[in-house]
Amino acid sequence: MMIKKAETLRQRQDRRFINKETQTSAKYLRRLKELSGAPDGMEPFYDTLERIYVDMDYAKSGAYHHTVGTYCVMTPPELIYAAGAMPVKLCSGNYTAFSVGDDIAPRDACPLVKAVAGFKQTGLMPVYEDCSLMIVPITCDCKKKIAGMLSDRCEVVTLHIPAARNDEDIEEFTRQLYSLMERLENVTGNQITYESLSYAFRMVGYAQYELSEFIRLKKQMPYLIRGSHAMAILNAASYMTAGDWGKALHRVNESLKTRIDGRKTVTSKKLPRILLTGSPIVFPNVKIPLLIEENGGIVAGDETCMGERGMWDPAVITDNSFDGMMNALANRALRPCPCPTFADNSQRIYRIKQLIKENQIQGVIYHVLRGCLVYDFEYRRIEDELGKLGIPVIRLESDYNEEDIEQLRIRIEAFIELIKLKQEPEKITAVRKSF
Amino acid sequence: MDKRTKQDSFDKEYNDSLNKLYRENAGLTGFRWFLDTAHRWAYSRDEHDVVILGTAVPEELVMAAGAEPFWFIGGSLGSIQWSDELVPRDTDPVSRSVLGYINRPGSNYHDPLFIVPLTNDSMRKTAYILKSEGRKICLVDIPPDRNDKYAAQKYAKQMKDMCSAVSAHTGVKVTRDSIISSMKRVSMARAVLRDFLDVSRGRTDIITDSARLFVQNSYYMTDSVDEWTYHVAELTREIGYYTARSVRTGKSRPRVMLCGSPVLFPNYKIPFLIRDVGLEIAGSVDHTAMKTQMIYKRKMLRGSRDRLIETISAQWLEYDSSPSYIRNDILYDNILTAVQSREIDGAVCHILKGQIEYDFELERIESMLSEYGIPVFRLETDYQYQDVEQLRIRMEAFSEMLVQIRVRRVKRVS
Repeated sequence: MMIKKAETLRQRQDRRFINKETQTSAKYLRRLKELSGAPDGMEPFYDTLERIYVDMDYAKSGAYHHTVGTYCVMTPPELIYAAGAMPVKLCSGNYTAFSVGDDIAPRDACPLVKAVAGFKQTGLMPVYEDCSLMIVPITCDCKKKIAGMLSDRCEVVTLHIPAARNDEDIEEFTRQLYSLMERLENVTGNQITYESLSYAFRMVGYAQYELSEFIRLKKQMPYLIRGSHAMAILNAASYMTAGDWGKALHRVNESLKTRIDGRKTVTSKKLPRILLTGSPIVFPNVKIPLLIEENGGIVAGDETCMGERGMWDPAVITDNSFDGMMNALANRALRPCPCPTFADNSQRIYRIKQLIKENQIQGVIYHVLRGCLVYDFEYRRIEDELGKLGIPVIRLESDYNEEDIEQLRIRIEAFIELIKLKQEPEKITAVRKSF
Repeated sequence: MDKRTKQDSFDKEYNDSLNKLYRENAGLTGFRWFLDTAHRWAYSRDEHDVVILGTAVPEELVMAAGAEPFWFIGGSLGSIQWSDELVPRDTDPVSRSVLGYINRPGSNYHDPLFIVPLTNDSMRKTAYILKSEGRKICLVDIPPDRNDKYAAQKYAKQMKDMCSAVSAHTGVKVTRDSIISSMKRVSMARAVLRDFLDVSRGRTDIITDSARLFVQNSYYMTDSVDEWTYHVAELTREIGYYTARSVRTGKSRPRVMLCGSPVLFPNYKIPFLIRDVGLEIAGSVDHTAMKTQMIYKRKMLRGSRDRLIETISAQWLEYDSSPSYIRNDILYDNILTAVQSREIDGAVCHILKGQIEYDFELERIESMLSEYGIPVFRLETDYQYQDVEQLRIRMEAFSEMLVQIRVRRVKRVS
């Protein structure tokens, strides 16, 4: 009798978890859809996010019988595709899973890791449960410890991310990729061949080409797309195959090109252009970009690892052999990466300065997830560097809940007002069609 | 806070801890040398060739390259004041303290080589800060997965690189003989420390638990490892003499094991508090105490220079219980051994705010100890002294609970 009662309680808890999780995700998806100025062709991305988070369905695509969970940007998707599996990025932004993970992980652990722990604990999220293997690059203390926790529940491979990026480190990382290749082959039962890896390179390369085109169009002045919509597109990439995502992005790019021809822009007003950097923004935790754009700013640049940085750098093959391709993957994973896991991360400053110049950024919002110490450490240096350029910076610390939204809104509003005060008064030069 | 006030609070913390240790152990003449060593270290402005941050680096290799290691291992609230503006709010107090010591006014640490083991995020970013300030650094990237078949190879490579960097800095070549000599020196020091801990265990009437911890910590404050070894041996002899000639006095207190974040001098509020509430520390299980297991046997002192470095690396990879690893199995195993070999009534798991690696391990440790019926007290704190009274109340309640468990056990047996 007692057992039956306990089961009922568990079932009730599960139902409440599912209800809450789907409601929150649906709400943020609706807010994204309601935001004006979305280009044509957004449906596949919205549908993907809805399928994963609202319908709680699998990410698996027809051709792939296995999915491999990945964290961080250092895991090369090409290897996973070459093994006949589909990579699914499992870094989570879910508030409901976070509240479950809060009871498992230490209080000061970052919310992203707590959300992952929460999903794994409930066993209710198909994208997590369906993974044949999880690849965890050790980029911070939380990832290091969550790898241990996850290994109790599923098969896990860890990648040791070196602190530096010299030739020896790349060589060592290449060796790790060979070990990873063996594990992937064992899990999927498919051998990674020269042909399958070349095909995977082409598939990911196509998606990267479309992304570079998208970024080029996104830089256009006046704006053709809002940053929140761009983030939805980039977040959806976690649960789509590179091929499908590339094709869907191609449609969006075509739509943006039509906007240039038709002189259509997101708004006729001159909105303060903001760069978002720091801890990753993962769906459904898109409250910060939404707050920026709902309060009269525009997210013109995104330096976070779930954003443009995640797929931007293509693997450059200088040697057409199999080893050459593996070496290209290792180089791509480490050399251009401005992740704060590296002891010397000066190139992140150059990258931010580059984004500021290219996107004519007027202000930087530095997002720090509570407990994400590595990003917090770099804030001081970035603030100093941007101070020299006269670019205002604001540090926004947030957690995976909605309690701080009003406080964030006030700070973001004030920041946007500050930029507007500095901005020259608008001149209406030509009539533009806005949405 | 002005410069003078900061220095005053630094002085006060050191003097308070040193005075209390002296008062509690005034009868031990051999103990005074350790107090003098700590005092001298705290006010030392000497230049050093090589500075090691933390305890997770084999000092034997630094010594083999002709440098007497100088450590910054944290432990001081006073030093945190000099790093407050350099690090984020949530940084752990150990890293803050380390950075504070480096930036202490009047310190002269622009020339040395800083060896930074990347045990956690704070150390990783501390290295970035030091490099940005133009200081010479040598990173030791510890492989996080001990089960990785290449872990030993990776660790050995890091050690070889570190040797080369220290050697290039000091201008002294690392030879087979110099490594053997330093291995013997540290083995002797560790063996002597192990004897000291064995002889002094359970004799709080002769030497207090805090003093035992302090002797252990003083290794990182000495200018000469050999001198330290000699004095520990002398102190052990003195304690042995008293032990042989006196029966233990005072009432039997519940015995607790101290684990988790290492307790570092001068911030001894936890060991002082444990004594105040009527508990006894049966042993501390942290990575400073566990070095006593890394003693090189005669057969290990064979082979070429590279072979010896590999031997040292293998030993460290096996016994290092710093938070660098995905699973801190060695810490877990040592707690298990301590529980099985000693009579322990409870465990105090000390978690310094921001050191989440230890907090992640807590669940595992708790479930293991619950199998032995040992209650665990999770004590989260930082280097501030404001929470002492709050901790005292909680600790008193824990102490009372342990006494009640003892009483019940005795009743059951009788």
